[in-house]
Parts: sequence; C-alpha cells; structure tokens
Amino acid sequence: MRILVIEDEQKVSALVKRGLTSERYAVDVAADGMEGLELSETYPYDLMILDLMVPRLSGAEVLQRVRRTNTFLPVLVLTARDSIDDKVKLFELGADDYLTKPFAFAELLMRVKALLRRGPVNRSSTLRVGELELDRLTQQVKRAGRRIELTAKEYSLLEYFMQNEERVLSRNMIIEHVWDQSFDGITNIVDVYVRHLRSKVDDGSPFKMIRTVRGTGYTIRGGNET
Amino acid sequence: MKLNSLRARVTTFYVGMLAIALLVFSAAVYFGAKTFLTRALERKLSNNAHSIVDDYVVPRGEKGDAWFVEEMGESYPPGYSDPSVRVSEGSKILYQTGDMRDPFVNMSRIPLPAKPKWFGTFHREEVSSEQQIVLYTLRYSAADGSIIFVETGAPIEPIRHALRSLLLALRLTSPMILVVAAAGGYLLMSRPLRPVVTLTEQAERVGRNQLGERLAVIPTGDELERLSHALNRMIERLETALAHNHRFSADASHELRTPLTIIRGELETLIELPSLPAPVMEGIGSALEESSRMAKIVNSLMTISRLDCGGEPMELAPVDLAEVVRVTLDQMGLLAEEKHISLGFEPGEATYVSGDAMRLKQIVVNLVDNAIKYTPDGGNVRVSVVAEDRKAVLRVSDSGIGIPAAALPLVFDRFYRADEARSRESGGMGLGLSIVKAICMAHGGAASVESIEGKGTMFRVEFPLLHVSASPDSAEKTKTVYSS
Repeated sequence: MRILVIEDEQKVSALVKRGLTSERYAVDVAADGMEGLELSETYPYDLMILDLMVPRLSGAEVLQRVRRTNTFLPVLVLTARDSIDDKVKLFELGADDYLTKPFAFAELLMRVKALLRRGPVNRSSTLRVGELELDRLTQQVKRAGRRIELTAKEYSLLEYFMQNEERVLSRNMIIEHVWDQSFDGITNIVDVYVRHLRSKVDDGSPFKMIRTVRGTGYTIRGGNET
Repeated sequence: MKLNSLRARVTTFYVGMLAIALLVFSAAVYFGAKTFLTRALERKLSNNAHSIVDDYVVPRGEKGDAWFVEEMGESYPPGYSDPSVRVSEGSKILYQTGDMRDPFVNMSRIPLPAKPKWFGTFHREEVSSEQQIVLYTLRYSAADGSIIFVETGAPIEPIRHALRSLLLALRLTSPMILVVAAAGGYLLMSRPLRPVVTLTEQAERVGRNQLGERLAVIPTGDELERLSHALNRMIERLETALAHNHRFSADASHELRTPLTIIRGELETLIELPSLPAPVMEGIGSALEESSRMAKIVNSLMTISRLDCGGEPMELAPVDLAEVVRVTLDQMGLLAEEKHISLGFEPGEATYVSGDAMRLKQIVVNLVDNAIKYTPDGGNVRVSVVAEDRKAVLRVSDSGIGIPAAALPLVFDRFYRADEARSRESGGMGLGLSIVKAICMAHGGAASVESIEGKGTMFRVEFPLLHVSASPDSAEKTKTVYSS
C-alpha cells in the first residue's frame, strides 16, 4: 500500500511518515501542492493525505484537480480549521474524510485503515475480544460466559471498543462516536463512563481488559498474550 | 399606525397647520361678508331716501299732498315695501308704509326722528327683543322753511340669517377638509417614506444574515440616496473587519494547531518506546494531557470568536428545546449518578425555537456539566424548559456552592473562574459559560444567572419562541431521570 502525504510542515509529515512506515505502508511526502499533484499523477497511490494549507497550490485546488482525473483515490484531508462550512466544502470538493489538527496518531491510523478497507467492516453479529463476547442482535454481553448488564451508553461504548480491539481510542474519537461533538472539550464524561464500564467488565477478573493509555485515551485488549 | 412614526408626526403637524389656516380663512370670510352685506343694505337705504326727496318731496310743494301720497303709495306700497319708508314734518306723518309683514316688523313703534345726531346717518332700532332694523334719516329743508324727515328702514335679520348659514357651512366643511387632508397626507407620506422603510428592512436583513449583501441604492439624488450610500459604506467596513477577524481566527487556529500536532506526535512516538523509566513515562503522559487540554482551549476560543463575530453560519431549523434537553440529559446521567446527585427534568410542552440543534445541545451540556461540577455529593440539579411571554426559557438550577454576588456579572467572561482552586481541580477552563453566552447571542437570545452563596445557582437562558405544542407526557409533572 502506497500513501502520498502532502504537508508543508516538515515535522508533521515526518511524524506521519514515521508512524505509517512502522505500520508497513510505503509513504511519499510532498512539501507543496504542485509537487504533490505531480507525484499523484506519476504514481498509482492507494491513499492521499492532504493538508489544506500548503504552498504553491492550495489543498482545495489539489483536491479539485485530482478529482478531475482520478475519482477513486481516497483522500484524507488534514485541516487546522474546524468551522462547519469548511467541512461541508471539503466533502463537496471530493474529500473522503477529514481530521482536525491536532490529532492523535492512533486516530489518523484508524481513518487511514478505514479508507483503505472501505466496506468490508466487521459487521458480524458477534464481536469477540478475548473472553469477552458481545452479541449485536440480542445486545447481550458476556465475559467468560457470565452475563454483564449494561446501560445503552455503556453498550455502545463497549461495542466501539471491541470493534477497535488493541487500538488506542482517544477521548475525542470516543466522544464523536458514542456521543456527539457538543460534548467535546468540556466534560470528563468519557472518563466517567469508561470507569463504570470497566467496573462492570473487569471487576472480579484478574485480567483487566480496558486499559488507560496515559495522555491519549483507552484501549481494549484480550488476555491472550499474558 | 404607530403614533410616534415619522409619518404620523409629519401628518399631524401639517394637519395642525391646515387647521390654523382654515380658522383664519373662515374668520376673514365671515367678517368680510358681514361688512359687505351691511354696506350694501345701508347704500340701498340712503339711495332710496335721496330719491324720495328728489322725486317726491321736492315736487310736493307744487303738486300738493294728494299727489305726493298717491305717488308714494305707488312706489312704496304700504306693508310690502322694502325698505319701509316714513316721511314726516314735525310730528305730522306725511306718508308711511307702516308695519312690514314679511318679516313682521312693527314700524309704528319707532319714535319720530328727534335727535339731530341721527340726521344723515344710520342708526339701529330695536323693534322687538329679537328684531333690529337699520334706519336712515334724511333731513330736508323745504323752500317754505318747513323741515321734512325722510326715513328708510330695513330689518337686519336677512343679513344675520345669511351670516348664520355661512358660519354653518364653514363649520361643517372645515372638519371634513381636515379629515380628508389627514388621510390624504398620511397616504401621500408613504410615498417619500417607502424607500426609508425598504432601506430599514434591507438593513435588518443584512444585519441578520450575510454581510455580503448590499442595500439597493435609492436613486433619488436626495438625502435618502446619501443615506443608503453611507449605510453601504458602513456595511462594507463591518464586512472587512469581520473578514479580518475571520481570517485571524483561521490563521491563529492554524498556527496554534500545527505545533500542537507536532508536540503530540513526538510525545506519542516517545511513549511507545519500550522500557522507559517510570518518571519519563509519567512526564510524557502529563505533557500529552496538557497538549490535549491546550487543544481544547484553542477549539473553544475559536468557537467563541467565530460565534461572536457572526462568522459562523448556523444551520437554523425549528428545534424542540425540551427534546434537546431530554436527549442530552439521557446522555449525561452517569455524571450525576457518580456524585449521587439527583438530576431532574420537568418535561412540559414541546417548545420550539429556531436554532442549530448541535449548538443548543452544547448549551445544555455546558450548563448541566457546570451545575454537576459545583454541586456537592448528594445534591440536586433541576432543568426545566418553559414558554414564557413569547420566549423559550431554559433553566438549570443546582443546590451547589453558589457564586459570590461580586462575581455574578463576570461568570460569562472568558477564562473567569469564581473559585480558582475548585474549578481547576474539576478540570474547567473558564470557557464553558462564555460559549453558552456566545451561542445565545448568536441565536438572538440571552443568558443570565442568579445565585445565593451556599444555597445554589440558577442559570437562565432564553430564546425567541417559535411555538409550543403540548407533549403527551406533560401530565407527568416531575420526572426524575436519574437519582441516587
């Protein structure tokens, strides 16, 4: 899988490149819009990560020109703005997804993976992580065969965790998926709900599945390797 | 019609002026007519008296009394003649037409001329309580030395009657003229005022919506055209200022967020390294937490600045505020439960406002989150939505620590904290209430707060009400969503 990163901020592109390379993607970096456009016309990329504010040719223009010739290339836009009309405009121009700076690398990686897979998402009716089992049809949760009663919010939180096993989910990602953006920035709501969920899932078991990743967020892990 | 509108004021003013003019005009007409009619009567009386002397009294010396009486009787028949005539010599009456019949005037009661000051002049005599006649007395000295008086008289009543009719006509027509003038003037005023009304409506629309629009210039070449140009220049300056503000926000958020991205990325890479000593892990974790706090502050500041300058286009739609509250509280229940706080909502009527649902929700989240933070364990938080006086009012009250009176006016200020230590400990940034206020203002609403220290605080947020409709569960007066 080959990914093109168009980003003028050298440190940001280095970070993204380092992170994606360690996930075994091939990464090319272009420092301005013109160079990025030329690269995208030369090589068959599987994904483009595009910063909106790049010199010589703005991100929006790059996006427009790419879409003229290549309608299938998934484009993930990085933006430092977050006003609504910007986002609407992005999708009108043909972006597939966007990420507002500053972002956690875990989130970038998740979106990259989602864009590259596009479709075959795990939609099976039962999710399994270690000895934890979640049935989407009956909305029942069991750990090692023992029923766990969850409220609706706790259920969607756990479902989101289990869909992203082993991945670090930032508070921001959790809020956007389980609540909505109006809860962003103010409350410690994620921590409270995760704490409650954790007490229901992990209390009484020696292995703690839901873990806090300091400064970033939370992750769920099956107990196989311990 | 508004009584204080320019149109009403101008109309009132000129109707007043017209009334004064009409009064002066009526007075002039009335007294002019009175003088003219009196003069005409007097001239007729004096002409008659002189012609009687010339035609009959002078030849009487030669032709004798019998001829005189006969000729007089023919020209001035008794009873009917207008004017009535009396010719006398001393106390002897030579000829008289006698009492008049229509109108009845009792001429015989008028005394014979005696006072010399009357001779050759007009004077008035009362013949009855309501009848006056004008008399003209002419003194004639005959060749034989005898003195003959010729008197001609006519009642004033016809003149008075004419004047009364004139007065009546004036009194009737003046108010009619005024009414027609007022109505006409009011309608007429709408023509020159219409551009002003249009201009006002346009300016209001531009103020509410996009500053990109301009007012249509009124091409009249007068003050109104200048006004519309001036307003357009003002809008242009506002737009430029807002565009600067907007660009500044965008630039600032870009400039702040890019380094934050790098800090975050570097720290995340570091923390992934295997076998880091615990203090290093701790330090990196703490730095990561602070970087996301800073990101939140940047986000909040940008939100407020965009809302404040009106640059944030909002998706306005009818939103049931009560439903927004209900859904939001459902999602926040655990926050209250954790502190054993009872979180109550009184579901009433569906209360519709025109707003951006996400933004309205943010108000509820911020207020309720704030209330829960500042309420000690076991307290309670109440939320209500009611329609009052064409406003939709959201109240969030708590039994918390309250806010000191001196701090009340400041709570909506950016970065203001009533209690430094406490709010830091609970993770506040001092921006939540500023965002509430900014969203309210952007919706044409208002936010206020009341508090008693140690007892609790009540935040009140109001929006222009669209309409209400009773919800089926309104019978359930108070429903506690979550309680300990």
